[in-house]
Amino acid sequence: MTSDTDLEAEIQRLLTEHDRIAEQGITVQRRDHLIVLGGEVESPQRRDEICRQITAHFPDLEITCDIGITRAQAPSEVEEIS
Amino acid sequence: MIRIAAVGDVHVDKDVVGRYRPALEELPDRADALLIAGDLTRHGTVDEAKCFAEEFGGLGVPVVVVLGNHDHQSDQQDELTKVIEDAGITVLEGTATVLEIHGHRLGIAGTKGFGGGFAGACASNFGEREMKDFVGTAERYADDLERALKSVECDALVALTHYAPVPETLVGEPLEIYAFLGCYQLGRSIDAAPAALALHGHAHHGSERGRTPGGVPVRNVAHPVIKQAYNVYQLLSEEVDTTLIGAR
Repeated sequence: MTSDTDLEAEIQRLLTEHDRIAEQGITVQRRDHLIVLGGEVESPQRRDEICRQITAHFPDLEITCDIGITRAQAPSEVEEIS
Repeated sequence: MIRIAAVGDVHVDKDVVGRYRPALEELPDRADALLIAGDLTRHGTVDEAKCFAEEFGGLGVPVVVVLGNHDHQSDQQDELTKVIEDAGITVLEGTATVLEIHGHRLGIAGTKGFGGGFAGACASNFGEREMKDFVGTAERYADDLERALKSVECDALVALTHYAPVPETLVGEPLEIYAFLGCYQLGRSIDAAPAALALHGHAHHGSERGRTPGGVPVRNVAHPVIKQAYNVYQLLSEEVDTTLIGAR
C-alpha cells in the first residue's frame, strides 16, 4: 500500500517523467481529503494535461488545481547592477 | 551603459509559440542583448528546438543561450544546438563570446553547469563510481566555465548558467533538493574571473537575488521567478535610469 509520503513522491515523478508533462516545478501538498497542486506552467494546455494525467493514474484521489500560467508581458523597469 | 535582457526556463514547445513574441518584439527598445539561462525546450527534441528558434530568433538584438537539463532529456543536444545556431542564436557551453555594444565590449561566458550542493551539504568525490562521476561532472562544468570566463577581454563580464552558483537564489525551494539545483563550484569559478553579473535559472520556486562569496551579484531569471517575459539589467552605468522607455 502506498503511504501518503510515497504518494507525493510518485506524483512528483509522474509530473517529471511523463512524456506529455515534463514539469519539475509543480508542488504537491496533501490536505485532509485532497491533493493541492501548485506552481506555474507555460500554457493552459500543460496545466490541463497535468490534472488529466494525475486523475488517470490515481483515480481515487481528489485533486484541486492551483497551477497558474506564467505571465509573459514585457517588463517596465530596469535594475542597475553595481 | 549596457542593458541586458535575461530569462530562463522558457520550455518552448508548439503550445508556447507566440506567447513571448509581443514582448520580444519590444526588445530593441529596451535592451542591447538577450541572454537565456537554459531549459529552452520541454524534452530537448529537434522539433521543440525549431519552436524555440521561431520564437526567439530574428529579434533585432543578439541572443546568447546555454542549454538546461530539459534540453538534454532526448540526448539530442548536438542536433538541438545546431537548429538554434542556424537561427542566428549563440549557444555557449564552456565557451565565451564578446558583443560590441555602444563602444563597450560585453563578454559572456556560459555553461549548463550541474548539481552537487553547497557548503554544509554538498556531494564529495568519494565512494561509489556513480558518486565520483556525479561530482566529477559538476567540477568539469565549473572548470570549463572558469576557463571561458578568463578567456575574454572585455569591459563587462557576465556568467550565464542553468544551474545555480549560490544557495541564496534557491530560497523557496525545498532544502532537500538544493544539491540537484546547483553547486558551489560554479560560484567559485565566477569569483575567480571575476564576473560583473551571474545569471542562472532552473530553480522555479527560488529567489531572485543573491551574491557569490566573492560578492558578484547573482540573479535567478527562471521565468516563474521573474514572472514576466524577461528582466533587464543595466551594467556600466554612469547614471541610474530605471525607466525602460527610450533605453537606446
